[in-house]
Amino acid sequence: MSVSDNIDDLMARCVLHDQRAFQELYRRTSGRLLAVAMRIVRRRDWAEDVLQESFVNIWNHVPEYRRVKSAPMTWMTAIVRNRALDWVRRPKHETSSDDLDEMIANWADGAAGPHERLQMAGDRVQLDECLGQLSGQQRQSIALAYYHGLSHSELASHMDQPLGTIKTWIRRGLEKLRGCLESAGA
Amino acid sequence: MRLNNRHAKSMLAAEYVLGTLHGKARDRLELWLRTDPALRLEVNAWQEHLMPLATSLPEHVPHERVWRSIEARINPAAPASSGWLASLAFWRWSSALSAAAAAVLFGFIALSPKDQTFMPANGMVVVMADDKADPHVTVAWSPDSRAKPKLRVRVMGHAEMAPGTAWELWMLPGGDEPPKSCGLITTHDTQYIEIPVDMLRRLTNAAGMAMSVEPAGGSPTGAPTGPVLYSGKAVSI
Repeated sequence: MSVSDNIDDLMARCVLHDQRAFQELYRRTSGRLLAVAMRIVRRRDWAEDVLQESFVNIWNHVPEYRRVKSAPMTWMTAIVRNRALDWVRRPKHETSSDDLDEMIANWADGAAGPHERLQMAGDRVQLDECLGQLSGQQRQSIALAYYHGLSHSELASHMDQPLGTIKTWIRRGLEKLRGCLESAGA
Repeated sequence: MRLNNRHAKSMLAAEYVLGTLHGKARDRLELWLRTDPALRLEVNAWQEHLMPLATSLPEHVPHERVWRSIEARINPAAPASSGWLASLAFWRWSSALSAAAAAVLFGFIALSPKDQTFMPANGMVVVMADDKADPHVTVAWSPDSRAKPKLRVRVMGHAEMAPGTAWELWMLPGGDEPPKSCGLITTHDTQYIEIPVDMLRRLTNAAGMAMSVEPAGGSPTGAPTGPVLYSGKAVSI
C-alpha cells in the first residue's frame, strides 16, 4: 500500500500549508475523483467545476482532517460526491431523464459493469463478495444510486419500477450488505 | 423522528452516503451529524465500505486549467481567495486603494470638526471603493464603545439609488464565513447605524465591509443577492 502511505504523507504536509504537497496530492488523486464527479453530474465541464470547488474545499479544511477517522481518499471522495450531489440537485443542472438513460447506457457499453470493475480492484474483494450476495435488483439499484447520484424517484423511472419497490430494494440491499460486511469484520 | 437506535442510524447513514437522501431529509441529517458522534462514525463506516465502488472507476485526467484555477484560489498571496470574498475587487485593488484611502481619510475623517467627539484616536475605518479603486462610502467606528455602538457612514458625491432598490452594508468576517448584514444605508451624506456590541467586536476583527444593491427592504435571504458595488478593508487609524 505504498501509494496510500504516500498520500498520508502528502496530507500531513498539506496541514502545514505545503502547496507543493497539495499539488502532488492533486496530481495523484484528481483522475479518480474526476471520474466520481463525472458519473454524478454527467458533463465533463460541470465535473471539472465540481473538482475545482472540491479541491479548494479540501485545502481549506485540511487542518480538520486529523479529526476525521477515515483514509485520505475516502475523505476526499466524500467531499467530491457531496459537491456533485449538491450540483445535480440545483434545478438548472438537471439532465433530462432521456439523456440520463442514454448516458448510463453509454457508460455500460464496452466498459465492465460495477460488479466486474470491482473484481479488477483485487485488494477490495470484501465488498465485492458481499454485493454478490444481494439480488441483482438490489445490487443494481445500489450501484446506480452510488455511481450516478440518482434519487429514489429517478431510480424508479430509470428502472421502470414503483417508488416503493425501489425503496425496498435499496433498504433490504443495504441491510444485507451491512450484515455481510460486519460478519466479515470489515 | 427519534434517532436512538443503532440500526436505524446505520441505515440512514447508508442512504446518506449512497446519495438517495434528498432535500430536507439530507439537510436534517447533516444537522444531526454535527452533534451526533455515533452517527458520524456510521457515515464514516459506510464511506469506507462503499469506497471500492469509487476506486474501481476508470480515471479521467482533468484539463490543465482546473489546477490553475485551484492554485489561483489557494495562493496565500490572495489571503481571502476562498468563497465569497474572492469575487470582491478590494483584494485586487488593495495597493491602489491605499493612496486613495489616505486622501479620503483626510478629507472625510480628520477634517470633520462636527464629528470629532465621535472618533477617538484609535478609530477603525473602512473606505469602500468600486472596482476601479474609486472611493464612494466610508464607514467609521470606535472599537471601544461600551453602550449603543454606532457606525458612522458617509456617502461621497451625489449618489443615486435606483427606485425599488436598497443599499445594504455587509461585514465580511474573513475566511469561509459568510457576510453578515449591518443594515441598510441611504444616499445621505452622513448617517449613523446602531449595531449590537458583539457585532462591533466582530467588525473590528473583520476582513472588511461591502455594499450590495438589494431589493427594497434589504436582502430577502440574509446574504448578498445583488451586485456588490463597493468594498474595502478595515484599517485602524
